[in-house]
Amino acid sequence: MIIKKLKTTTAIVAIALSGTIALSDGYGPFPVTLQGYSGDKTNTVSYSGQIARHVLEQSLKKLAGKGNGGGNAADLEAQMLSYFNGSDEDLPIIAPKSKDGFKIKQTSLHQISKGKNISGKFYDGAMTAWPGNMSGKDVAYNMIAMAAKSNKGFDADTGYDWAQLISKYTMGAMAYNQAVDNYLDEKLSAEKKPNDKPYKDGVHYTGKEHSWDEAFGYWGAAAHQHGFKPNKVYEIAKMKNQGAADKNGDGMVDLKSEYVFGPTYYAAAFDRSGTKSTNYTSTIFDAFLDGRKLITAAAGNALTDSERSQLKAYAATIEENWEKVLAEAVFKYAGSVYKDINKMKDLSGDDLNKAYRAYSKHWGELKGFAMAMQSGKSNLGATATKMNELMGFGPVTLNNSYVTGMDLNGNFVMDRKRSWSDYQLHMLKIQQMMVDTFSVKARVNDGLNDLQALTDKLDSASSAETD
Amino acid sequence: MDDINLLNFFLSDFINPKKRVFTGYLILSILLASLWLLLIKQQTLKSTFRKIFDKKILWSGSAKADYKLFLINRVFTFFISPLLISQVAISTALYLFLHSVDFFNQNLFSDTPLSIIVALFTVSLFVVDDFTKYVVHRWMHKIPILWAIHKVHHSAKTMTPITVYRVHPLEGVLFSLRSVFAQGAVIPTFLFFFGGAVDLYTIVGVNILVFFFHATGSNLRHSHIDISYWKWLEHILISPSQHQVHHSIAEKHYDKNFGAALAVWDWIFGSLHLSENKGDVVFGLDTYESGKEGKIQDLYLEPLFEIARIIKIFSTKIAFRIFNRLSLIKDLFSFQIKKNKS
Repeated sequence: MIIKKLKTTTAIVAIALSGTIALSDGYGPFPVTLQGYSGDKTNTVSYSGQIARHVLEQSLKKLAGKGNGGGNAADLEAQMLSYFNGSDEDLPIIAPKSKDGFKIKQTSLHQISKGKNISGKFYDGAMTAWPGNMSGKDVAYNMIAMAAKSNKGFDADTGYDWAQLISKYTMGAMAYNQAVDNYLDEKLSAEKKPNDKPYKDGVHYTGKEHSWDEAFGYWGAAAHQHGFKPNKVYEIAKMKNQGAADKNGDGMVDLKSEYVFGPTYYAAAFDRSGTKSTNYTSTIFDAFLDGRKLITAAAGNALTDSERSQLKAYAATIEENWEKVLAEAVFKYAGSVYKDINKMKDLSGDDLNKAYRAYSKHWGELKGFAMAMQSGKSNLGATATKMNELMGFGPVTLNNSYVTGMDLNGNFVMDRKRSWSDYQLHMLKIQQMMVDTFSVKARVNDGLNDLQALTDKLDSASSAETD
Repeated sequence: MDDINLLNFFLSDFINPKKRVFTGYLILSILLASLWLLLIKQQTLKSTFRKIFDKKILWSGSAKADYKLFLINRVFTFFISPLLISQVAISTALYLFLHSVDFFNQNLFSDTPLSIIVALFTVSLFVVDDFTKYVVHRWMHKIPILWAIHKVHHSAKTMTPITVYRVHPLEGVLFSLRSVFAQGAVIPTFLFFFGGAVDLYTIVGVNILVFFFHATGSNLRHSHIDISYWKWLEHILISPSQHQVHHSIAEKHYDKNFGAALAVWDWIFGSLHLSENKGDVVFGLDTYESGKEGKIQDLYLEPLFEIARIIKIFSTKIAFRIFNRLSLIKDLFSFQIKKNKS
């Protein structure tokens, strides 16, 4: 009797406690709502699989720069594939790793989650942005093989920076694709993963709770970043502010909830720079949070139609803003490439090679993000075709040639030339396209900024006076 | 819109140094006019004051029409200007075009010292702007359809600084477009060849040259204070008196002094007329065309009717010509047929 009473009290206290916590502004913990659940779990938030995948992506990026020009190609490719395809063995975390002033709790994958890979959650539709007419996943395999053969992840002849290409592309083809094309799409239907049933047999969270959490996991935000200024979020991703990251004060940053990964990092980066007129970070985080609160409030019942339509509205906000973040990235790096070409025009010798390396890095980011945009839910149609045409398969290299395709042996063909000025024009057109099509507002590295500024200064109406 | 916003909507030009009727410029103009009358014309203080603030001029029927047009045009501008092509659009198009010509080398002159870039830009902008004003103004006089519109401005029988606003809205549109194209050409060209350092020398936010144009009495061009310059200077800058000649009804003054700030364009293209100071110039249109200077409705509608008349005459002429050609062809054919028959 006493024990039973004690249990009831504990339960009440637990519910009260979790209730208060649930009302806090962080993403979780959220209480168990699954009806008929009799286990002892109190928090239903779970997205460690997504965190593991972010870590796999960051580690893969690091590995992409480890080639020595062919000598270690086979070994390196195998190692990269173990991160891409996953491994039964526990893999060491290559990035992010602890550094002075920023201690990370986990050092191996299994400390986060077991049995996870990138390849199983990778966009596999057509990827026309890359030569060779390959599927999305085959492009990734192609890039991995090329990276393994390269010298420190860079191929000067084609101008490809493999680490950038792989990591930015994956940020879209895995995280963005899974979130917007899967968890925030079909899994929000009434039939799939209903809220009055567990996500799968034996778990303590409902179908909708977990679907939503998975999408949140792919977004890569720290669970406690609500209300943070974009700069603070940015500092966590850059491993510059352990104080802001370490929510529970245990002296370590827990990758599972306290760290900021790629997608969120870029949102914060755009919010804090350029025109400073955007708030992608908080808009998306708040939509996730509000959506999760809505699901929790359903208390383990199937969502009503109006609840689901509200949830879909949150999902639409997330999707739209996430796409904008990717478009901002394309805008920014098109601007970088434009500026890099200006620099290179005045240089020669070692200075030129150095500038060319930076240019290739920025181009890799540009291309990676452009491909990320094309691996989401919606087919970008004519926009994608035009963007790919302007960007080309490869950057204009030092001898003005550029990759135009891939031959039957898988070698890149570079049989055409283009002037740098011409390519700069393409970059400006890409920027214009991002403004016209996606209404980007942060506009970092705006190539047309000076025009706008001078025009504003002159105020043409002032000269309308006549005599 | 509350009262203060409404006031600001109509009168903002008086507190905007980019505008000719900025209060500061008006005060300077009064000062300049006083000095001219007192020191050069040797007039008494009283008569100077009376001449400048001449009620017969400031409150003439023509001037009252100016004031009304000033207010009404404000509303027209508000609705029309968003419809016009934006300067950014033109600048961007030209900037992109410059990139597409391989022959042009971007940042070709970016090593030029900053002060020279800024000076060059400031002067270029002013000169190009002034030249296009000359050209468009000349067209306004020489092309019948445009003259129909521009007549509104020339129908002023007395002139005050507000007469600058006595224009048909269509003229406002043409001059806005002129400005958009002129600046839209200069800005991207400079940015392309000189790089991001391009900037403007300004005073109170205004191109320094425009500032001097206004601060030295641009408002007196539309007034009865006939300040003239030395002859050599009137070949370079248009004096108020020279512009008053432009408004004269005397036949010998027709189509002279189209220039805004610079007289060199008139000099080069043979339309320069130096000031005469032979007593008061009579402003307005000759009797054949005058008589409508005070009626607001006529000022807005008459140009439209006149354009319609011009187009009608023109199209009738064209129709006649086509008809003549056709009948010629017909004759030719019938001639041919007759020939065949015979």
